Formats: sequence, C-alpha cells, structure tokens
Amino acid sequence: MSQGNSQSSKVQTTGHVWDGDLQELNNPLPAWWLWAFYATIIFSVVYWVAYPAWPLGKGFTTGIATITYKNDKGVEKTTHWSTRALLMKDLQDAREKQKPYFDKVAATPYEQISKDPELSNFVASAGKVLFSDNCAACHQSGGQGKMAFAPNLTDDDWIYGGTHDKIQASIANGRHGIMPAKGGADLNEGEIESLANYVLSLSGEPMDAAKAKAGDELFHGKATCLACHGADGKGNKDIGSANLTDKIWLWADVPAQDSADKKVAVVKAVITSGLNKGVMPAWNSRLSADQIKLLTVYVHDVLGGGSNK
Amino acid sequence: MASVAIGSGEQYNYDIVRKFTIMALIWGAVGMLVGVFIASELAWPFLNFDIPYITFGRLRPVHTGAVIFGFGGSALFATSYYIVQRTCQARLISNGMASFTFWGWQAIIVLAALGDVMGYSQGREYAEMEWPVDLLIAVVWVTYAIVYIGTIMKRKEPHIYVANWFYLSFILATALLHIFNNLAIPVSLTKSYPLFAGAQDAMTQWWYGHNAVGFFLTAAFLGMMYYFVPKQAGRPIYSYRLSIVHFWALIFMYMWAGSHHLHWTAIPDWTSTLAATFSIMLLMPSWGGMINGIMTMSGAWDKLRTDPIMRFLIVALSFYGMSTFEGPMMSLKDVNALSHYTDWTIGHVHSGALGWVAMISFGAIYHMLPRLWDTKMHSAKLINVHFWLATIGTLLYITAMWISGIMQGLMWRAYDDYGNLQYSFAESVAAMHPYYAMRALGGAVFLTGMLLMLYNCFMTIRQAKSMPAGGLAASAA
Repeated sequence: MSQGNSQSSKVQTTGHVWDGDLQELNNPLPAWWLWAFYATIIFSVVYWVAYPAWPLGKGFTTGIATITYKNDKGVEKTTHWSTRALLMKDLQDAREKQKPYFDKVAATPYEQISKDPELSNFVASAGKVLFSDNCAACHQSGGQGKMAFAPNLTDDDWIYGGTHDKIQASIANGRHGIMPAKGGADLNEGEIESLANYVLSLSGEPMDAAKAKAGDELFHGKATCLACHGADGKGNKDIGSANLTDKIWLWADVPAQDSADKKVAVVKAVITSGLNKGVMPAWNSRLSADQIKLLTVYVHDVLGGGSNK
Repeated sequence: MASVAIGSGEQYNYDIVRKFTIMALIWGAVGMLVGVFIASELAWPFLNFDIPYITFGRLRPVHTGAVIFGFGGSALFATSYYIVQRTCQARLISNGMASFTFWGWQAIIVLAALGDVMGYSQGREYAEMEWPVDLLIAVVWVTYAIVYIGTIMKRKEPHIYVANWFYLSFILATALLHIFNNLAIPVSLTKSYPLFAGAQDAMTQWWYGHNAVGFFLTAAFLGMMYYFVPKQAGRPIYSYRLSIVHFWALIFMYMWAGSHHLHWTAIPDWTSTLAATFSIMLLMPSWGGMINGIMTMSGAWDKLRTDPIMRFLIVALSFYGMSTFEGPMMSLKDVNALSHYTDWTIGHVHSGALGWVAMISFGAIYHMLPRLWDTKMHSAKLINVHFWLATIGTLLYITAMWISGIMQGLMWRAYDDYGNLQYSFAESVAAMHPYYAMRALGGAVFLTGMLLMLYNCFMTIRQAKSMPAGGLAASAA
C-alpha cells in the first residue's frame, strides 16, 4: 500500500473534492490505450475502403472488394461485395458440387439407385436435408409420423401405396383423404356404437361381441362402409381408404386407450364426424422433379418403409 | 423512517433512495427467479405444464423487464438520486416529483409484466409495452430528468462530478431512444402499429435495443462505478483526462453501432459495415471506464483480501472489460455469421448482465445500505458468500452458453462431402440439452446469492429500525 501511495502521490489531483473525499488524479491517457484506439480507427478505414460503407445521396461507397458468381441461369456477374452476391456464390458452389449427382439420380431407374453405393450415399445426405426442411414438420424428423396428424413413413403400412411410383405421386401431387361423417341423419348413436365394436373386432381389439355382430351387418349394409374399406375391411390404396384389419391406427388413437370403453369411444368419434383433415400439400410447385425423385428414393429406401408391390 | 438519520435526512432526500433500493432488491429476486424458471423450461419443456401464460415466449420478456427495468432501473434511480445529492451537496428539488418517479416506475414494471403474460405486446425486444404504458414511461422519465437536472443546477459544488455526466447522458439518451422506438399509431387501448415498416422498423428497434445496452446498461452503470469504486477504495479516480475522453468517445460511438444486431439480414450492406466498424472503434472507449476503475484501486489492492464489496466492484469491472471486448468481436461480419441467432449471444448478454450490471449494483447497494439506514450490514460473511455464488453462477452460465452457442453455430453451417447440410435443426436442439441444464444450474446458483442478499439486507433494515433514533449516526461515514 505504501508503495502505491508514493507512486500516485507524485501526480496532482484536479483540485476538486466532492462528497468529502472524492478526488480525481490528473494522470495522462495511458499510451497503449491511445494507440490501441488509433489502431481501431485505422482498421475501420481499411474496412470502409474494402466494403460498402458510407451513404452518398441515393447511393453509397461500394468499396474495392468484388465478388464474381454465376446466377441460376448460368450468367456470370461481377459486383462489389454484397451479402446477396455472397449468397449467390454459395448457391452456385453447392449447385456445381451436386449437379453430377442429381443428373445421375434423374437418369437412373428407381430400383438401380440403391444398388449404387455412391448414389445411395448421396441420396441419404441430400434426402435428409430435403426431408428435414420440407417433410419433418408433419412426418417428424425420422419419418415416424404423429398420431391423428401424419402417417408413419417407416412402417410397411401405406395408405396410398408404398411403391416408388405411388410415393412419387403422393409427394408431387399431394393427398387429401376424406371420410364422410356417419353421425346425425345416417346412423343413430347405438348403430355407431355397434360399428365401432365391429371395426375394433377386425384387428382383434377387445370389444362387445354382440354389438360387433350388429356392426358387421351395418358395415356391409346400411352404413355402406364396404364401398371404400372393402368387404374384408382391408381398404383400397387407389382411393386411400385405410386397412382396418391391422393394428396400425392413424386417426383414432386406439393403442393409447387403456380400456375397451375408451377404445370404442375414439373409434366412434371418427365414424360420427368423419375426416377431412388428412391433407398433404402438393410439392411439385415447390420442389424440382429431380428433388422429388430423390425424396421418393429417400422415403422408400433410406427410411426403409417402401414396398415393391 | 422519520426516526432514522436525522442529520443527513434533512440535508438529503434519502427516503426516495431507500424505496428504490428495496425495490431493486425485490425486482432482482423476482426477475432472476423467472429467469431460472424459463432457463429450466428450455432444458425440460414439460415445465410449461401446457399453460399458455407461463410459456417461454411470454415469461421471457417478464424476465428481461424485471431484471433490466425493475432491478437495474430501480438500482439506477436509487444510486443516481444518492450520488447527485451527495456530490452536488443539494437536496433533490422536489419530494413530490421524486416520489412520482418511484410509484410511476413501479407501476410501469407491473403493467409491463401483466401485458407480457396476457399477450399484449408490441413484439419489440425490451420495448414490449403497448402505447399507454409507453406514454407513462415518457412522463415518468421526463419527471426524472427534471428532478435530476434541477438538482444539478442548484448544486453547491462548482464542478459536476464525473458520475453525474454518465447519469445525465443515460437520462437524455433513454428519453430519445424510448420515444423514437415507440412511435406508433394506436388502434385500440391495447394495440398499436409502428410508424416505420420493414427494414427501417427493424433498424429503429435495434438502434433502440443496442443503445439501451449502451446507455442504460453501460453508461449509467459506469456512473455508478465512478462513485462507488473511489468511495469504497478510498482512493482518487485514476485519470480525469481519461474519464473525459472515454466519456465523449463512448457516447459518440455507441449511437452508430445498433445495426450490428441485424448483420446478414435485409438491411443495406453499408449499414452493416458502418455498424461493425463503429463497434470496433467502441472497444477502447469502453475499456477507458474499466482502466479508470481498476487503476483507481492501485495503492489499495490489499482491500481485495478483506473487503467483499470491493471484490464485487472489481470483478464487475473485469466482466465489463471482457464483454466489451467480446461485443466488438461479435460485431465483425464473419464472426457474426457464426454467432448470430446462437446461444453465444445469450452468453455474451449475461456476461454483461450478471457479471457487470448485477455485480456493480450488488457492490453499490452493499455500500449504500448501511449509510441509508445508519447502521452496519447484518452479516459481512454473507456478503462474501454472495460474492462467490454470484461469481461461480456467472461463470457456469456463460461457459455453458459459449459451448452451446459455438456448437450450434458450427452444426448449422456444417456441410458433408456432397455439399449438403450435415445436421437438421432438431439435431442441434438435442445437442444443446446438457448445456441448457448447466445454464439453469448457473442461474440457480446466482439466484441463491441474490436471495442471500435480500435476507441480509432485510435483517440489516430490521435491526436499524429496532435501534433508538440516531443509534450509529456518529460512526456512519
């Protein structure tokens, strides 16, 4: 303490005292501080010379740094440094790197793509990005789907068919699944209850056998369910009607219900109100044909749920 | 309270300082508690409990409003009223107007929090309040300016002490920023539309947002530093000349730098460049305050061993120096391309908010409290425990956010051999989980310190009130 005191006591204060003991020494600006300050100013001037910096009326100083890029039509342009030109350059680099692979995907039949190791690596890489950006919001990041919202793409159950061609059609043109409501004028409460028990019986869920028997008659008769779901209840992929005989559910969350009554209730709700929310948008206006083909292979082969029939 | 500190109580209006000090402590505890809760929500989302009012989106502005304007604002009102009276040897010009700033300011914090929770928001960061609250802020702030400037004008000292310059610049700049950023056309009592649109609106918002950091959280707290560091150290300020040069450089440079919050967006490129360079030139003016504070200690370093308040002040200056170095670096376009939208930004803000703003306020309040109530702190040992909790909490917090933020930035820009992005966004979210848990822990440690402080201050005030009038008046400095 005594050392410090003797050092600083050589410097005069400004002579003012506030609040009893507050004073200020009259030390000069630290030289390193001043030179560092000048250095930041010089740095800034260099930055201004290189990049767009100062406004001038309606324009601005453009700086001497330039960027050369080819736009998506292949026209080469050179401009002063700008964030947009930088983006165009990045897009150009990515396009050039990926073009040979996309061309090869476009020229190769679906079945052959997964047999070519390099091409299937590319599909796995590019498909993951396309899927994450466009599909995962509904079908979830691994394609596992979400109950009462979007179907699972990794299992063997396909509402509209799981071949390459069917998947391609689903992605390109979209899908809109509709089931008419059967509540109200068509069927009364007891009839819907019977139908629900019958539908549950098709996949071996616990139910009331007597009601299911009545439901069987309604299914094949007055309720006209067989028109879409077929006499055997196995559905029809051409019109996207669900297979009711497997244990896979999309709209009625049967597996999550812990009692037969609750299972009946969720199926009843679907029969009563029908469905009009199974909407998948058409992607052909947003993605290129090559991208859709690549996504088709990704869903079919990489996510692994695709079928060949 | 009439019985306390008769001598000085008549000379100065300490009642208003006491009120704001108590509210700074309370808003600090409330705001930090909300902060720890929302940090936990990010780590463990079930804590939403599916209640819309307590989701992250609504509670986040409650947190920032309570800590910046509730805690920080009340601490600034308290210290500025304390300092301006003592360094001008003049009582505040009006008890009524000072009292109005207190009740008005507290009403603003409560109304802002209610608006956030109920969904009435302008959607402007740190300026969420709708227009009726904005008008109240303007009235309170102008009243504050009149009280403050009026008190300086009737000072008995010939010169204006340096701390007051900083508070003055903060009061004037905040008025300017607040009014221009909130120019809006009301369509109902709870809804308005901003006067500017698109990129201009964004630039107005970040001109405000950045200078709120610059003048509210930097210049004003430097004012606090310029009083409490020399007072607590018992040493003169290191350099009068440095204080002048860095003051003017700081307030000139800061106003240009706001657009660095909008790098790589739809603003013109030249605004980005200007903002980046003025941020770089801001480094040394910012450091001027740190140098002046730390060099003031020269000759009294031994106090760091024995005085926990001095530790708060010096560690605050160290974090200040670190975050004012980090800020200009992050404002360079290439660094910003990595850091923008990542947790690095959150880490940077909190090294300033916890390390600088909160620590310097803790030091200032621990210094003022015994003098305001004419007593001694209930426990010096608890101040020391608080110091270590605050330091460890801050370090845990910012380390977690640095790792998480840089990892996020690197994952978002990672390409594989085919020129495709390597990670999906959801994968980067999953990778952040451990660091979110660590950040919540750091926040909880910091909050624990704040609660200890609240307890220690409460006990101090209680013991002061139980003492006979003028109890320690003789020994109080």
